[in-house]
Amino acid sequence: MSTLTAPWIILSAPLAAAVLILLFGRFSRPLSAGLAIGSAAIGCVLSWWLFVQPDPAVSLQFPWIVMEDLVVPIGVTIDGLSKVMLVVVTTIATLVFTYSLGYMRTEEGYWRYFAGLALFLFSMLGIVLADNFVMMFIFWELVGLSSYILIGHYFKKDSAADACKQAFIVNRVGDFGFLLGILFLWAGTGTLMFSELTTTGIAEFAANPFYLAVACVLIFCGTVGKSAQMPLHVWLPNSMEGPTPVSSLLHAATMVAAGVYMLARIFPILESAPAAMDVIAWVGGITCFAAALMATQQDDIKRILAYSTISQLGYMVLGIASASTADVSMFHLFTHAFFKCLLFLCAGSVIVGMHHEQNIWKMGALKNKMPFTFLATLAGGLALAGCPFFSGYYSKDLIIAWAVVNHPFLGWLSVITAGLTAFYTFRLIFVVFLGKPKSEHAMHAHESPAVMVIPLGLLAVAAVIAGYPFIESRFFHVLEPTHVPHVLHPVLLVLFAAGVLGAYLLYGRAEKDPVSIPFFANRLYIDNLYAWMVKYVQDGGAAVLSWADRWVVDLFIVQVPSKLTWATGFVLRFLQIGNIQAYTFFFGAGVVGILYLMIFR
Amino acid sequence: MSLISPLLFLILVPLVAAGFIMLGLHARKTALVAAIANLVFTGVLLFNYSIATGGYQFESSMPMPVIAGLGIFFTLGADGLSLLLLLLTAIVTLAAVVVTRTPEKNGSWFYACLLFISAGGMGAFASIDLFFFYMFHELALIPTFLLIGIWGTGDRQAAAWKATIYLALGSFILLLGLIGLFLMQPDGMRTFDLRQIILMSENGYLPQGHWVYLLLLLGFGILVSLFPFHTWAPQAYASAPPPAAMLHAGVLKKFGLYGLLRIAAPIFPESIAAFSNLLLIALVGNILYVGYVTIAQRKLDTMLGYSSVMHMGYIFLGFAAMTNLSLTGAALMLFAHGLSIAALFALSGELRERTGTLDFAELGGLGKQMPKFGLLFGFAAFAAIGLPGFVGFAGELLIFFGSFVAGVPTMMSIEGREIFRLNNFQIATFCAVWGVVISAVYMLRAYRKIFFGPMNDRWAGLSDIAGSPRFAIVSLIVIMLLTGFLPQLLIKLIQTASI
Amino acid sequence: MPTLAHYLLVSGGLFSIGLLGVLLRRNILIIFMGLELMLNAANLSIVAFSRFNLHGGMPGYNEQVLVFFVITVAAAEVAVGLAIIVALFRAKQTIHVEDLDALKF
Repeated sequence: MSTLTAPWIILSAPLAAAVLILLFGRFSRPLSAGLAIGSAAIGCVLSWWLFVQPDPAVSLQFPWIVMEDLVVPIGVTIDGLSKVMLVVVTTIATLVFTYSLGYMRTEEGYWRYFAGLALFLFSMLGIVLADNFVMMFIFWELVGLSSYILIGHYFKKDSAADACKQAFIVNRVGDFGFLLGILFLWAGTGTLMFSELTTTGIAEFAANPFYLAVACVLIFCGTVGKSAQMPLHVWLPNSMEGPTPVSSLLHAATMVAAGVYMLARIFPILESAPAAMDVIAWVGGITCFAAALMATQQDDIKRILAYSTISQLGYMVLGIASASTADVSMFHLFTHAFFKCLLFLCAGSVIVGMHHEQNIWKMGALKNKMPFTFLATLAGGLALAGCPFFSGYYSKDLIIAWAVVNHPFLGWLSVITAGLTAFYTFRLIFVVFLGKPKSEHAMHAHESPAVMVIPLGLLAVAAVIAGYPFIESRFFHVLEPTHVPHVLHPVLLVLFAAGVLGAYLLYGRAEKDPVSIPFFANRLYIDNLYAWMVKYVQDGGAAVLSWADRWVVDLFIVQVPSKLTWATGFVLRFLQIGNIQAYTFFFGAGVVGILYLMIFR
Repeated sequence: MSLISPLLFLILVPLVAAGFIMLGLHARKTALVAAIANLVFTGVLLFNYSIATGGYQFESSMPMPVIAGLGIFFTLGADGLSLLLLLLTAIVTLAAVVVTRTPEKNGSWFYACLLFISAGGMGAFASIDLFFFYMFHELALIPTFLLIGIWGTGDRQAAAWKATIYLALGSFILLLGLIGLFLMQPDGMRTFDLRQIILMSENGYLPQGHWVYLLLLLGFGILVSLFPFHTWAPQAYASAPPPAAMLHAGVLKKFGLYGLLRIAAPIFPESIAAFSNLLLIALVGNILYVGYVTIAQRKLDTMLGYSSVMHMGYIFLGFAAMTNLSLTGAALMLFAHGLSIAALFALSGELRERTGTLDFAELGGLGKQMPKFGLLFGFAAFAAIGLPGFVGFAGELLIFFGSFVAGVPTMMSIEGREIFRLNNFQIATFCAVWGVVISAVYMLRAYRKIFFGPMNDRWAGLSDIAGSPRFAIVSLIVIMLLTGFLPQLLIKLIQTASI
Repeated sequence: MPTLAHYLLVSGGLFSIGLLGVLLRRNILIIFMGLELMLNAANLSIVAFSRFNLHGGMPGYNEQVLVFFVITVAAAEVAVGLAIIVALFRAKQTIHVEDLDALKF
C-alpha cells in the first residue's frame, strides 16, 4: 500500500461493488448491502489513512484520450483539498450506507438502490480525485446519472419519475455551460490539467481578461447546475422524492457540494478573473437569501431542509467569491456536510416513525416519542442556525465576515439570511417536536432501530465539534478578514436569538400555519415560470417545428418535386391522342426535322 | 498486390449465404453462421492489421477488362477507418440477424435481404475503387427497399417509395459528382482508384472543383439525411422492420459520411473551407431544428428515427471543422452511433412485438413488469445521449474540441479594446453542445413515459426480455462500454487512415 | 436509255404513295401494304444506285446483297405483322385504326 495506489483502490472499490451488485445483487439482499457498505468502508479507512500521509510527489496516470493538443488522462490529484473532501465523502457515505440498511429494509428494489449508491460513490470520488477538467466532467455527468437513478427509485410514482428527469436535464443545462467553459480554457491554454492551468495557464490570459472572465462564468454554470444555485435550483427540492438517505448523502452533504469543490479546485484561475468573481458573488448571495425566504413557508419536512441546503450552498459560493482563500468555503462545506446530513437522517427517522408522513403539520410532540431523534435534530438545527459553540457558527460567520468586507451589500443580505435561517430551522423543530400531536400517526410514532440511531449519534457529535478550532486547523488554513465591522458578531447573535424567539412565538403552540405568504410558499413562482416555459416555449415550439417538418419542409423538398413530376406527366398525356397515324406523322416530322438540322445546319 | 484479398471473403460470405438461403437452406441458421463467420473474420483481420505500418493493408486488385479503359479496377483494401466500419457492419449484422423474428411471409427471403445489405456495406467499406464503392452501396439499397416495402408496418409502401426515391436521387447526384471527379483528372491519368486520386491532388494535378465538391456534398448529404433532406429517414425507420432499421441506420447511413471523410476531406480541403458556412447552417439545422422536432414526437419509432437524424449533425460538424481532432471524433461517432441506434431499434422492435404499440400515451410503468428490458433500454438510451463511459461521449468530446479550435480566431474591437469574437465554428459548437441538452430531454422523456409512472393493467402479462435478443443487446452495450473506457484504441486505429 | 434519275423518280413516287397510304388510310391491312410499298421503293433506289455507281466497271454487290436482306426482313415483318393483325381482329372485331385507341388518354 502506498500513497500512489491507495487513491485508485478508493476509487475503484465502489465501481467494482456497483458492477457486482448489478450482476448478482438481485439474488441476495445482504450481498447487495454488504458490497456497497464494504466498498464505502474500505474507502473511508484508506481516506483517513491517506489524510495523515504526506502528499505524494508523483501520481499515476492512464491515458484516456491523447491526441495532439488534447491530452486527457485519467489520473488523481492528492493534495490538501482532495484529501479533506475524500475524508468527508467516504465517512458520510459509510454512515449513510449503514443507515440505509434500516431505512430501506422493507423497500422494493433493494439491489437497485445499493447499486445506485455505489455508483454514486464511485462518481463522486472521481470528481474529488480528478486531475483534469475532462475527467471531472466525466464523473460530473456520472454523478448526475446516479442522482437520476436514486431520485427515481420510486419510479412508479409520477412525482418521482418527473423529479429524476428534471434533475438530470437541469444538470445538463448547467453542464452545457461547464463544457463550453472547459473548451474556452483549453482553447486558450492548450491544457486541461488543473496543475498546469492554475499555475502557468493563467498567464496565457493576461492580455485578454475578458476571455478568461467568460470562460470562468461558463465553468461556473456547472456549479449553478450541480450546486442548485439560482436560476437552476428548481431540481433540488423536487429531488426530495428520492429515499431520504439519498437526499441526505447526495442532495445535502456531498454531491451538491461538488460544485463548490470544483470552484475551490480552480480557485487560482477564478482569482485572476475579478469580473467572473462578481457574477459568482451575486449568484451566491441572491441564492442564499431567496432560498431562505422560500424555506420559511414550506410544509414538507424534507423540502424545508432542501431549501436550507440551497441557501447554505449559496453561502459557500458567496464565500468563494469573497474570501481570499477557498478554504473558507471548504470549511463551511465540511461542517455543513455533517450537520445537514444529520438533519436529513433525522428527518428520515421521523418519516419512518410517522409511517412515511412528511407534512410537518401532521406531526407534533415527537420529543417524547423519539427522544434520540429530537436531540440529534436539535444539535443539527443549532449548528445550521449558527448557535455559538456549534460547528455552523464558526464556518458560516467566517463567510459572512468575508462577504461583509468585500461585498458589503451581499454581505449584509447574508447577515439577514442568517436570521431567517434560525427562524425556519426552529419553525421546523417547534412544529415537529413540540406542541400537540396533530394526527393519528404522531400519537403512535416510535423511535427508529439502532442501525439508524447510531449514525445519528455519530453525526450529531460531528455536527457539534466539526467547527472547533482544533479540528479546523487540522483540515484547513482559513484566515480571518481584516477590518470586520465590530457590530457584525453582536448583530449575528441578536439575529439568531430573534429568529429562534420569533419561531417560538409564532409556532411554539400553533396547530396550523399562522402566517401565509403565497409568494414564498410558491417558491417565488419560479417553478411555475419554468413549467410554463417548458410547456409553451419548448414543447409548443417543438410542436410547431414538428408540424413544419411535416407540412413545410416536406412540402418543399418532397411534395413540390413530386407534384411537379405529376404535373409534367399530366401535360404530356395530352400528346397521347391514340391515333397511330398521328404518331407516324410525328415520327416522320421528327425524322425530317433531324435531317434538316443535320444537312442544312 | 495480390489478386485476391482476404477482404473479398467478407463480401462473399454473406452473398453466398444469401444464395444458399434462396436455394432452400434453413434461413435463420445459415444467416447466423454467415454473420458469426464474418464477425470472427473481421476480428482476425483487425488482429492482423498492423497499426504501426498504417495505411491500406490486405490490398488486392482485379482488372475488369470491359471497363478497364475507364480506369475501373476491382480494388480492395482496408485501413483503420475502414476496418472500424467493417467491424461495425459485422457486429450490427449479427445483432440484426439474432433479433430477427422470422416473418411468416417469405421468411427466408427476409434473411437473404439482410445478408445482401451486409454484403453491400462490407463491399462499400472495403473498396478503394470509387466505382465499386458506389456500386456496393447501391446493391445494399435494393434489399432495404424490399425489406421496408414488404415486411414493414404502417404506411410501409409510401415510406419505402419515399426513402427509395430520396436515396436514388442522392445516389444519382453522387454519381454525377464521382463522374465529375473522374473528368477533373488530367487526360490520360484518369482513374477511379482513390489512392491515386488523392496522390494526384497532393501533387497539384487536380484543380479545386467547387462544383464537384458540392455535388458530392449534396449526394452524400441526402444519403445521410442532412437537413433539409431528412424527412425520409424517420418515416422509413418507423415503418421498417427493426433489423432493417438497425442495418440501415447503423451501417448503410454511415456510407455517406464515410464517403465525405474518405473522398472530400483529403481532395477538397479548400472547397470545404469555402462552403463551410453552408454546411454549418445545415448541420445546426440537423442538431437544433431536428432536435426540437424530436422532442415533439409521440411515438418511440419516429422519435428514434429523428434522433438518428439529429446525431448526424454532430458527425457533419466533425467533418466541416476539418481538424484532425474533429475528423477523428466524427469517425468515432460513426461507430458509436451505429451501435447505439442499432440497440435502440432492436429494443423498440422487441417492445412493439410485446405491446403492439409504440405510442407513448398508451405505454407507461413497464419498468415494474419488465425490469431487465428497462435496464437495457436505459443503458442504450444513455449511450445514445452521450453519457461518459460509452464510446459516444468520446466521439462527441473529440468533435467539440476539434471544432472549437477550427477556423481562424476572430477579434472585434469595442471602445478601442480588442475583444475575442466567436467564429462560425465556435457558434456551431455552442449549438451542438446545446444539442446534448436536447437529446437528454427527448430520450429521458421517452424513458419516463415508457418505463416510469403507474402501469396500465393492459400490460400486466408482458414478458421480460430474454434469450437471444437479450444477448445481442447486452453485447452491443458491452462493446460500447469497453470502447468508451478505452477510446484510445479506436483513436489509434482511426489515425492510420489518412483523413 | 433510262438514267439514275428516272429510277429515283419512280422510287420516290412509290415511296410517297406508300407514305400517304400509311398516313391516310384507316384499314390496317392497307397501311401494311403502304409500308411494304415504301420498303420496295427503298429497294429499288438501292439497286439503282448499285447499278449506276460502278466500281472498276462492276456494279456494287454489297448493295444488292443488302436488298436481299431487306426483302427477308420485310417478309419476316409481314409474318409477324399479319399475325398481330389477326390477333387484334379476334380481340376487337375490327381492323380500323380509329377504333384502336386504348392507349389514348
